[in-house]
Amino acid sequence: MGLPLFSAHGDPGPSFWHFAQSVGLSTSSGEHRADSSHATTVIAVRYQIGVVMVADRQATGNYIASRDVRKIEPADRCTALAISGSAARGLELLKIAQLSFEHYEKMTDSELSLEGKANYLSPIVQRNNLTSPLVVLPLLAGWDDSRQQGRIFEYDGAGGCYERLDFATIGSGSPFAEGTLRLGFRDDLDREAALELGALALYEAGDNDPATGGPDFVRNIFPMMVSIDADGFQELPASDVGERFAQINERRTQSRGLAGGSLR
Amino acid sequence: MTNYFYVSPEQLIKDRAEFAQKGIARGRSIVAAIYDKGVVLVAENPSASLNKISEVYDRIAFAGVGKYNEFDRLREAGIRWADSTGFTYSREDVDARALANYYAQHLGDMFTEGQKPLEVEILVAQLGSSLRPTKLYRVAYEGTISDEPRFAVLGGDAETIRDRFALSEAELEPLATTLKNAAAALAGPDRVLPAEDLEVGVLEDRGTRRTFQRLSDDQVKELLG
Repeated sequence: MGLPLFSAHGDPGPSFWHFAQSVGLSTSSGEHRADSSHATTVIAVRYQIGVVMVADRQATGNYIASRDVRKIEPADRCTALAISGSAARGLELLKIAQLSFEHYEKMTDSELSLEGKANYLSPIVQRNNLTSPLVVLPLLAGWDDSRQQGRIFEYDGAGGCYERLDFATIGSGSPFAEGTLRLGFRDDLDREAALELGALALYEAGDNDPATGGPDFVRNIFPMMVSIDADGFQELPASDVGERFAQINERRTQSRGLAGGSLR
Repeated sequence: MTNYFYVSPEQLIKDRAEFAQKGIARGRSIVAAIYDKGVVLVAENPSASLNKISEVYDRIAFAGVGKYNEFDRLREAGIRWADSTGFTYSREDVDARALANYYAQHLGDMFTEGQKPLEVEILVAQLGSSLRPTKLYRVAYEGTISDEPRFAVLGGDAETIRDRFALSEAELEPLATTLKNAAAALAGPDRVLPAEDLEVGVLEDRGTRRTFQRLSDDQVKELLG
Protein backbone atom coordinates (compact mmCIF):
# COMPACT_ATOMS: atom_id res chain seq x y z
CA MET A 1 0.00 0.00 0.00
CA GLY A 2 1.21 3.48 -0.83
CA LEU A 3 0.87 6.52 1.38
CA PRO A 4 -2.88 6.77 2.11
CA LEU A 5 -3.53 10.47 1.54
CA PHE A 6 -7.07 11.87 1.37
CA SER A 7 -8.53 15.20 0.39
CA ALA A 8 -10.37 17.03 3.15
CA HIS A 9 -13.86 16.03 1.92
CA GLY A 10 -13.04 12.35 1.38
CA ASP A 11 -11.08 11.85 4.59
CA PRO A 12 -12.32 8.91 6.71
CA GLY A 13 -11.19 10.63 9.94
CA PRO A 14 -9.71 8.84 12.94
CA SER A 15 -11.90 5.73 12.54
CA PHE A 16 -9.75 2.83 11.41
CA TRP A 17 -12.78 0.82 10.33
CA HIS A 18 -14.01 3.53 7.95
CA PHE A 19 -10.48 3.93 6.66
CA ALA A 20 -10.12 0.17 6.14
CA GLN A 21 -13.40 0.10 4.23
CA SER A 22 -12.44 3.05 2.03
CA VAL A 23 -9.23 1.33 0.94
CA GLY A 24 -10.71 -2.17 0.73
CA LEU A 25 -8.80 -3.62 3.68
CA SER A 26 -11.77 -5.03 5.59
CA THR A 27 -13.07 -8.47 4.76
CA SER A 28 -15.93 -8.96 2.35
CA SER A 29 -18.86 -11.20 3.09
CA GLY A 30 -19.61 -13.92 0.60
CA GLU A 31 -21.26 -17.30 0.96
CA HIS A 32 -20.24 -19.15 4.07
CA ARG A 33 -21.12 -22.34 5.83
CA ALA A 34 -23.41 -21.58 8.74
CA ASP A 35 -21.88 -23.03 11.87
CA SER A 36 -22.20 -20.33 14.44
CA SER A 37 -23.37 -21.92 17.60
CA HIS A 38 -22.37 -19.55 20.35
CA ALA A 39 -20.55 -22.25 22.18
CA THR A 40 -19.08 -20.23 24.99
CA THR A 41 -19.74 -18.66 28.32
CA VAL A 42 -18.42 -15.23 29.14
CA ILE A 43 -19.53 -13.36 32.24
CA ALA A 44 -19.06 -9.75 33.25
CA VAL A 45 -19.97 -8.57 36.75
CA ARG A 46 -19.84 -5.00 37.97
CA TYR A 47 -18.51 -4.28 41.41
CA GLN A 48 -18.03 -1.09 43.40
CA ILE A 49 -14.95 0.19 41.61
CA GLY A 50 -14.64 -1.90 38.47
CA VAL A 51 -15.70 -4.90 36.46
CA VAL A 52 -14.79 -8.57 36.68
CA MET A 53 -14.91 -10.91 33.68
CA VAL A 54 -14.75 -14.69 33.52
CA ALA A 55 -14.67 -16.83 30.37
CA ASP A 56 -14.31 -20.51 29.58
CA ARG A 57 -11.49 -21.66 27.29
CA GLN A 58 -13.18 -24.19 25.02
CA ALA A 59 -13.71 -23.83 21.28
CA THR A 60 -16.50 -26.12 20.18
CA GLY A 61 -17.64 -27.07 16.69
CA ASN A 62 -18.92 -30.59 16.09
CA TYR A 63 -16.18 -31.61 18.48
CA ILE A 64 -13.87 -29.80 20.90
CA ALA A 65 -11.52 -27.91 18.62
CA SER A 66 -9.39 -26.29 21.28
CA ARG A 67 -9.21 -26.27 25.07
CA ASP A 68 -7.15 -23.15 25.68
CA VAL A 69 -8.75 -20.36 23.68
CA ARG A 70 -8.53 -16.84 25.09
CA LYS A 71 -11.97 -15.27 24.75
CA ILE A 72 -11.21 -12.08 26.68
CA GLU A 73 -8.51 -9.71 25.53
CA PRO A 74 -7.56 -6.19 26.60
CA ALA A 75 -8.82 -3.82 23.88
CA ASP A 76 -6.68 -1.14 25.46
CA ARG A 77 -5.38 -0.31 28.94
CA CYS A 78 -8.80 0.06 30.61
CA THR A 79 -11.12 -1.86 28.29
CA ALA A 80 -11.70 -5.58 27.91
CA LEU A 81 -13.44 -7.20 24.99
CA ALA A 82 -14.85 -10.72 25.00
CA ILE A 83 -16.22 -12.62 22.02
CA SER A 84 -18.69 -15.39 21.34
CA GLY A 85 -19.81 -16.95 18.07
CA SER A 86 -17.60 -17.48 15.06
CA ALA A 87 -13.98 -17.69 16.19
CA ALA A 88 -12.60 -16.25 12.97
CA ARG A 89 -14.97 -13.28 12.99
CA GLY A 90 -14.55 -12.82 16.71
CA LEU A 91 -10.79 -12.64 16.50
CA GLU A 92 -11.05 -10.25 13.59
CA LEU A 93 -13.41 -8.04 15.58
CA LEU A 94 -10.97 -8.11 18.47
CA LYS A 95 -8.09 -7.12 16.23
CA ILE A 96 -10.11 -4.32 14.62
CA ALA A 97 -11.19 -3.01 18.02
CA GLN A 98 -7.70 -3.02 19.50
CA LEU A 99 -6.27 -1.37 16.42
CA SER A 100 -9.11 1.17 16.14
CA PHE A 101 -8.86 2.44 19.70
CA GLU A 102 -5.10 2.88 19.38
CA HIS A 103 -5.49 4.39 15.91
CA TYR A 104 -7.95 6.96 17.20
CA GLU A 105 -5.62 7.84 20.05
CA LYS A 106 -2.66 8.36 17.73
CA MET A 107 -4.65 10.31 15.14
CA THR A 108 -6.31 12.70 17.58
CA ASP A 109 -3.92 12.63 20.55
CA SER A 110 -6.88 11.86 22.84
CA GLU A 111 -8.45 8.65 24.06
CA LEU A 112 -11.94 7.57 23.04
CA SER A 113 -14.50 7.56 25.85
CA LEU A 114 -15.72 4.13 26.99
CA GLU A 115 -19.16 4.86 25.54
CA GLY A 116 -17.48 5.91 22.30
CA LYS A 117 -15.69 2.57 22.14
CA ALA A 118 -18.93 0.68 22.81
CA ASN A 119 -20.85 2.58 20.13
CA TYR A 120 -18.00 2.19 17.65
CA LEU A 121 -18.47 -1.60 17.66
CA SER A 122 -22.22 -1.45 16.91
CA PRO A 123 -22.08 -0.96 13.13
CA ILE A 124 -19.23 -3.47 12.83
CA VAL A 125 -21.28 -6.13 14.62
CA GLN A 126 -24.35 -5.15 12.64
CA ARG A 127 -22.64 -5.38 9.28
CA ASN A 128 -21.04 -8.69 10.10
CA ASN A 129 -24.15 -10.33 11.47
CA LEU A 130 -26.61 -9.08 8.87
CA THR A 131 -24.45 -10.05 5.92
CA SER A 132 -22.87 -13.26 7.10
CA PRO A 133 -24.03 -16.48 8.76
CA LEU A 134 -20.85 -16.34 10.86
CA VAL A 135 -22.41 -14.42 13.70
CA VAL A 136 -20.27 -12.81 16.34
CA LEU A 137 -21.41 -11.20 19.59
CA PRO A 138 -18.98 -9.23 21.70
CA LEU A 139 -19.15 -8.12 25.30
CA LEU A 140 -17.33 -4.94 26.24
CA ALA A 141 -16.43 -3.93 29.76
CA GLY A 142 -14.13 -1.27 31.06
CA TRP A 143 -13.29 1.47 33.44
CA ASP A 144 -14.99 4.78 32.57
CA ASP A 145 -12.54 7.44 33.60
CA SER A 146 -14.96 10.36 33.31
CA ARG A 147 -17.64 8.64 35.42
CA GLN A 148 -15.15 6.90 37.69
CA GLN A 149 -16.92 3.55 37.52
CA GLY A 150 -16.81 0.22 35.76
CA ARG A 151 -19.34 -0.24 32.94
CA ILE A 152 -20.59 -3.18 30.87
CA PHE A 153 -22.01 -3.08 27.32
CA GLU A 154 -23.64 -6.02 25.60
CA TYR A 155 -24.82 -6.36 21.99
CA ASP A 156 -27.64 -8.07 20.18
CA GLY A 157 -27.35 -9.81 16.82
CA ALA A 158 -28.28 -6.68 14.88
CA GLY A 159 -25.57 -4.61 16.52
CA GLY A 160 -27.71 -2.96 19.17
CA CYS A 161 -25.59 -1.88 22.11
CA TYR A 162 -27.03 -1.98 25.63
CA GLU A 163 -25.47 -0.96 28.87
CA ARG A 164 -25.95 -3.38 31.75
CA LEU A 165 -25.80 -1.97 35.23
CA ASP A 166 -25.39 -5.26 37.04
CA PHE A 167 -23.96 -8.13 35.01
CA ALA A 168 -24.05 -9.60 31.52
CA THR A 169 -23.40 -12.98 29.95
CA ILE A 170 -22.88 -14.15 26.38
CA GLY A 171 -22.71 -17.60 24.83
CA SER A 172 -24.62 -20.86 25.05
CA GLY A 173 -23.93 -21.24 28.77
CA SER A 174 -25.66 -17.95 29.55
CA PRO A 175 -28.93 -19.32 31.02
CA PHE A 176 -27.02 -21.36 33.61
CA ALA A 177 -24.56 -18.60 34.47
CA GLU A 178 -27.35 -16.06 34.62
CA GLY A 179 -29.27 -18.05 37.21
CA THR A 180 -26.33 -17.96 39.58
CA LEU A 181 -25.64 -14.28 38.89
CA ARG A 182 -29.25 -13.31 39.52
CA LEU A 183 -29.22 -14.92 42.91
CA GLY A 184 -25.77 -13.76 43.91
CA PHE A 185 -25.51 -10.21 42.58
CA ARG A 186 -25.60 -7.32 45.03
CA ASP A 187 -24.93 -3.62 44.59
CA ASP A 188 -22.13 -3.59 47.08
CA LEU A 189 -19.92 -6.39 45.74
CA ASP A 190 -16.21 -5.82 46.16
CA ARG A 191 -13.62 -7.23 43.74
CA GLU A 192 -13.12 -10.44 45.69
CA ALA A 193 -16.85 -11.14 45.98
CA ALA A 194 -17.39 -10.36 42.29
CA LEU A 195 -14.61 -12.76 41.31
CA GLU A 196 -16.11 -15.44 43.51
CA LEU A 197 -19.59 -14.97 42.04
CA GLY A 198 -18.23 -14.94 38.48
CA ALA A 199 -16.28 -18.15 39.05
CA LEU A 200 -19.31 -19.88 40.53
CA ALA A 201 -21.51 -18.78 37.62
CA LEU A 202 -18.99 -20.10 35.14
CA TYR A 203 -18.73 -23.37 37.05
CA GLU A 204 -22.51 -23.78 36.72
CA ALA A 205 -22.37 -23.06 32.99
CA GLY A 206 -19.55 -25.54 32.52
CA ASP A 207 -21.52 -28.10 34.50
CA ASN A 208 -24.70 -27.78 32.43
CA ASP A 209 -23.73 -26.57 28.96
CA PRO A 210 -21.92 -29.15 26.81
CA ALA A 211 -20.22 -26.41 24.77
CA THR A 212 -18.75 -24.60 27.77
CA GLY A 213 -15.51 -25.87 29.21
CA GLY A 214 -15.32 -25.92 32.98
CA PRO A 215 -12.08 -26.13 34.96
CA ASP A 216 -9.85 -28.85 33.52
CA PHE A 217 -7.89 -30.36 36.42
CA VAL A 218 -6.39 -33.02 34.18
CA ARG A 219 -4.65 -30.55 31.85
CA ASN A 220 -4.47 -27.72 34.37
CA ILE A 221 -6.39 -25.41 32.07
CA PHE A 222 -8.69 -23.02 33.87
CA PRO A 223 -11.16 -20.35 32.81
CA MET A 224 -9.85 -16.83 32.27
CA MET A 225 -10.51 -14.36 35.05
CA VAL A 226 -9.76 -10.67 34.68
CA SER A 227 -10.59 -7.46 36.47
CA ILE A 228 -10.63 -3.93 35.09
CA ASP A 229 -10.47 -0.89 37.33
CA ALA A 230 -8.77 2.51 37.41
CA ASP A 231 -5.39 0.76 37.33
CA GLY A 232 -6.28 -1.02 34.11
CA PHE A 233 -6.77 -4.54 32.81
CA GLN A 234 -5.45 -7.26 35.07
CA GLU A 235 -5.53 -11.00 34.41
CA LEU A 236 -5.46 -13.36 37.36
CA PRO A 237 -2.60 -15.88 37.23
CA ALA A 238 -3.62 -19.44 36.35
CA SER A 239 -2.53 -20.72 39.78
CA ASP A 240 -4.91 -18.29 41.52
CA VAL A 241 -7.79 -19.22 39.20
CA GLY A 242 -7.02 -22.92 39.64
CA GLU A 243 -7.26 -22.55 43.41
CA ARG A 244 -10.62 -20.81 43.22
CA PHE A 245 -12.09 -23.54 41.03
CA ALA A 246 -10.52 -26.27 43.14
CA GLN A 247 -12.40 -24.87 46.15
CA ILE A 248 -15.73 -24.83 44.31
CA ASN A 249 -15.04 -28.32 43.05
CA GLU A 250 -14.23 -29.50 46.55
CA ARG A 251 -17.48 -28.10 47.93
CA ARG A 252 -19.45 -29.73 45.14
CA THR A 253 -17.74 -33.03 45.67
CA GLN A 254 -18.72 -32.95 49.32
CA SER A 255 -22.35 -32.20 48.48
CA ARG A 256 -22.30 -34.82 45.72
CA GLY A 257 -22.84 -32.33 42.90
CA LEU A 258 -25.64 -30.39 44.50
CA ALA A 259 -25.59 -26.68 45.19
CA GLY A 260 -28.04 -27.63 47.90
CA GLY A 261 -30.23 -24.57 47.72
CA SER A 262 -27.39 -22.11 48.24
CA LEU A 263 -24.63 -20.41 46.28
CA ARG A 264 -22.01 -23.00 46.96
CA MET B 1 -5.77 33.66 -26.44
CA THR B 2 -3.38 32.76 -23.66
CA ASN B 3 0.29 33.56 -23.90
CA TYR B 4 2.75 30.96 -22.60
CA PHE B 5 6.18 32.12 -21.51
CA TYR B 6 9.13 29.81 -21.55
CA VAL B 7 10.61 29.11 -18.13
CA SER B 8 13.75 26.98 -18.01
CA PRO B 9 13.62 23.90 -15.78
CA GLU B 10 16.53 25.28 -13.74
CA GLN B 11 14.62 28.48 -13.05
CA LEU B 12 11.42 26.56 -12.22
CA ILE B 13 13.18 24.33 -9.70
CA LYS B 14 14.98 27.30 -8.17
CA ASP B 15 11.75 29.26 -7.79
CA ARG B 16 9.96 26.31 -6.24
CA ALA B 17 12.83 25.59 -3.86
CA GLU B 18 12.94 29.21 -2.77
CA PHE B 19 9.20 29.20 -2.21
CA ALA B 20 9.35 26.07 -0.06
CA GLN B 21 12.39 27.24 1.90
CA LYS B 22 10.71 30.55 2.70
CA GLY B 23 7.63 28.78 3.98
CA ILE B 24 9.67 26.42 6.15
CA ALA B 25 11.86 29.23 7.50
CA ARG B 26 8.77 30.96 8.91
CA GLY B 27 8.18 28.14 11.40
CA ARG B 28 10.27 27.05 14.35
CA SER B 29 12.74 24.20 14.34
CA ILE B 30 13.00 20.68 15.71
CA VAL B 31 15.97 18.70 17.02
CA ALA B 32 15.80 14.91 17.07
CA ALA B 33 18.66 13.06 18.72
CA ILE B 34 19.62 9.58 19.77
CA TYR B 35 20.48 9.32 23.47
CA ASP B 36 21.88 6.39 25.43
CA LYS B 37 18.50 4.63 25.81
CA GLY B 38 16.38 5.88 22.94
CA VAL B 39 15.42 8.76 20.72
CA VAL B 40 14.26 12.20 21.84
CA LEU B 41 12.39 14.67 19.64
CA VAL B 42 12.38 18.30 20.79
CA ALA B 43 10.33 21.00 19.08
CA GLU B 44 10.05 24.66 19.85
CA ASN B 45 6.27 24.93 20.00
CA PRO B 46 4.38 27.41 22.16
CA SER B 47 1.07 25.71 21.33
CA ALA B 48 0.07 22.93 23.70
CA SER B 49 -2.44 21.35 21.32
CA LEU B 50 -1.18 21.80 17.75
CA ASN B 51 1.49 19.14 17.88
CA LYS B 52 4.54 18.79 15.69
CA ILE B 53 5.61 15.48 17.20
CA SER B 54 3.50 12.34 17.15
CA GLU B 55 3.45 8.63 17.74
CA VAL B 56 3.16 6.64 14.52
CA TYR B 57 3.68 3.05 15.60
CA ASP B 58 5.13 0.90 18.37
CA ARG B 59 8.71 2.05 17.71
CA ILE B 60 8.21 4.88 15.21
CA ALA B 61 7.68 8.59 15.80
CA PHE B 62 7.00 11.50 13.47
CA ALA B 63 8.05 15.14 13.54
CA GLY B 64 7.20 17.85 11.07
CA VAL B 65 8.07 21.51 10.56
CA GLY B 66 6.62 24.11 8.22
CA LYS B 67 2.94 24.49 7.40
CA TYR B 68 0.86 22.74 10.04
CA ASN B 69 -1.98 21.59 7.78
CA GLU B 70 0.46 20.09 5.31
CA PHE B 71 2.62 18.09 7.71
CA ASP B 72 -0.36 17.05 9.81
CA ARG B 73 -1.93 15.40 6.79
CA LEU B 74 1.33 13.55 6.21
CA ARG B 75 1.36 12.53 9.88
CA GLU B 76 -2.16 11.09 9.55
CA ALA B 77 -1.22 9.27 6.37
CA GLY B 78 1.80 7.81 8.16
CA ILE B 79 -0.30 6.47 11.03
CA ARG B 80 -2.78 4.98 8.57
CA TRP B 81 -0.03 3.42 6.56
CA ALA B 82 1.62 1.93 9.65
CA ASP B 83 -1.61 0.60 11.18
CA SER B 84 -2.81 -0.95 7.93
CA THR B 85 0.60 -2.49 7.20
CA GLY B 86 0.68 -4.01 10.69
CA PHE B 87 -2.90 -5.21 10.25
CA THR B 88 -2.21 -6.82 6.87
CA TYR B 89 1.11 -8.43 7.77
CA SER B 90 2.48 -8.31 11.30
CA ARG B 91 3.43 -5.59 13.76
CA GLU B 92 7.10 -6.36 13.28
CA ASP B 93 6.86 -5.73 9.53
CA VAL B 94 6.24 -2.02 9.99
CA ASP B 95 9.52 -0.36 9.04
CA ALA B 96 10.34 3.34 9.33
CA ARG B 97 12.49 3.22 6.22
CA ALA B 98 9.53 2.23 4.05
CA LEU B 99 7.46 5.06 5.53
CA ALA B 100 10.27 7.60 5.02
CA ASN B 101 10.51 6.45 1.39
CA TYR B 102 6.79 7.03 0.84
CA TYR B 103 7.11 10.51 2.31
CA ALA B 104 10.11 11.18 0.07
CA GLN B 105 8.21 10.04 -3.02
CA HIS B 106 5.18 12.12 -2.16
CA LEU B 107 7.18 15.26 -1.37
CA GLY B 108 9.22 14.75 -4.55
CA ASP B 109 6.06 14.38 -6.62
CA MET B 110 4.50 17.46 -5.10
CA PHE B 111 7.69 19.43 -5.64
CA THR B 112 7.80 18.76 -9.38
CA GLU B 113 4.18 18.12 -10.29
CA GLY B 114 2.05 19.78 -7.62
CA GLN B 115 0.39 23.14 -7.87
CA LYS B 116 2.93 24.25 -5.32
CA PRO B 117 5.59 22.36 -3.39
CA LEU B 118 4.76 21.36 0.18
CA GLU B 119 6.34 23.73 2.68
CA VAL B 120 7.37 21.03 5.12
CA GLU B 121 10.26 18.93 6.33
CA ILE B 122 9.60 15.55 7.91
CA LEU B 123 11.48 13.37 10.31
CA VAL B 124 10.75 9.68 10.84
CA ALA B 125 12.47 8.24 13.91
CA GLN B 126 12.76 4.55 14.69
CA LEU B 127 13.79 2.99 17.97
CA GLY B 128 16.04 0.02 17.34
CA SER B 129 15.18 -3.59 18.17
CA SER B 130 16.67 -6.99 17.50
CA LEU B 131 15.27 -6.64 13.97
CA ARG B 132 16.18 -3.08 13.03
CA PRO B 133 18.63 -0.37 14.07
CA THR B 134 17.77 2.97 15.64
CA LYS B 135 17.33 5.41 12.77
CA LEU B 136 16.56 9.03 12.03
CA TYR B 137 15.31 9.66 8.51
CA ARG B 138 15.00 13.26 7.43
CA VAL B 139 12.90 14.07 4.38
CA ALA B 140 13.28 17.52 2.83
CA TYR B 141 10.61 19.50 0.97
CA GLU B 142 11.83 18.35 -2.46
CA GLY B 143 11.93 14.68 -1.49
CA THR B 144 15.57 14.30 -0.57
CA ILE B 145 15.84 11.61 2.07
CA SER B 146 18.82 11.44 4.39
CA ASP B 147 19.74 8.93 7.06
CA GLU B 148 21.14 11.02 9.91
CA PRO B 149 23.66 9.15 12.04
CA ARG B 150 23.17 10.66 15.52
CA PHE B 151 20.89 13.66 15.34
CA ALA B 152 18.86 15.67 12.87
CA VAL B 153 17.69 19.26 12.76
CA LEU B 154 14.65 20.38 10.79
CA GLY B 155 13.43 23.87 10.06
CA GLY B 156 14.57 27.23 8.79
CA ASP B 157 17.52 27.79 11.06
CA ALA B 158 18.76 24.21 10.76
CA GLU B 159 22.42 24.91 9.93
CA THR B 160 23.07 27.14 12.93
CA ILE B 161 21.20 24.87 15.31
CA ARG B 162 23.00 21.83 13.94
CA ASP B 163 26.40 23.42 14.61
CA ARG B 164 25.41 24.46 18.12
CA PHE B 165 24.10 21.00 18.97
CA ALA B 166 27.07 19.17 17.42
CA LEU B 167 29.46 21.26 19.53
CA SER B 168 27.68 20.53 22.78
CA GLU B 169 27.07 16.81 22.28
CA ALA B 170 30.07 14.71 21.33
CA GLU B 171 28.84 11.26 22.32
CA LEU B 172 25.68 9.47 23.44
CA GLU B 173 24.41 11.08 26.62
CA PRO B 174 21.57 10.37 29.05
CA LEU B 175 18.14 11.84 28.22
CA ALA B 176 18.46 14.86 30.55
CA THR B 177 21.76 15.97 28.99
CA THR B 178 20.59 15.46 25.42
CA LEU B 179 17.36 17.34 26.13
CA LYS B 180 19.28 20.23 27.71
CA ASN B 181 21.64 20.40 24.74
CA ALA B 182 18.76 20.28 22.27
CA ALA B 183 16.84 23.02 24.10
CA ALA B 184 19.96 25.18 24.26
CA ALA B 185 20.69 24.62 20.58
CA LEU B 186 17.12 25.56 19.64
CA ALA B 187 17.18 28.66 21.85
CA GLY B 188 20.57 30.03 20.78
CA PRO B 189 22.90 32.08 22.95
CA ASP B 190 20.51 34.96 23.62
CA ARG B 191 17.45 33.30 25.07
CA VAL B 192 16.29 30.45 27.25
CA LEU B 193 13.27 28.38 26.20
CA PRO B 194 10.89 27.63 29.07
CA ALA B 195 9.47 24.10 29.34
CA GLU B 196 6.03 25.39 28.24
CA ASP B 197 7.48 26.36 24.84
CA LEU B 198 9.00 22.93 24.26
CA GLU B 199 7.21 19.92 22.86
CA VAL B 200 9.09 16.76 23.72
CA GLY B 201 8.47 13.17 22.71
CA VAL B 202 10.67 10.15 23.37
CA LEU B 203 10.96 6.62 22.07
CA GLU B 204 12.32 4.39 24.82
CA ASP B 205 11.88 0.77 25.87
CA ARG B 206 9.89 0.51 29.09
CA GLY B 207 8.83 -3.09 28.77
CA THR B 208 5.65 -2.19 26.90
CA ARG B 209 4.80 -2.64 23.22
CA ARG B 210 4.33 1.06 22.57
CA THR B 211 7.53 2.97 23.19
CA PHE B 212 6.44 6.53 22.41
CA GLN B 213 5.82 8.90 25.27
CA ARG B 214 4.91 12.56 25.19
CA LEU B 215 6.60 14.36 28.08
CA SER B 216 4.52 16.79 30.15
CA ASP B 217 5.75 20.29 30.97
CA ASP B 218 6.53 19.11 34.50
CA GLN B 219 8.60 16.19 33.25
CA VAL B 220 10.49 18.48 30.87
CA LYS B 221 11.11 20.98 33.67
CA GLU B 222 12.48 18.27 35.89
CA LEU B 223 14.81 16.97 33.18
CA LEU B 224 16.04 20.46 32.33
CA GLY B 225 16.79 20.89 36.02
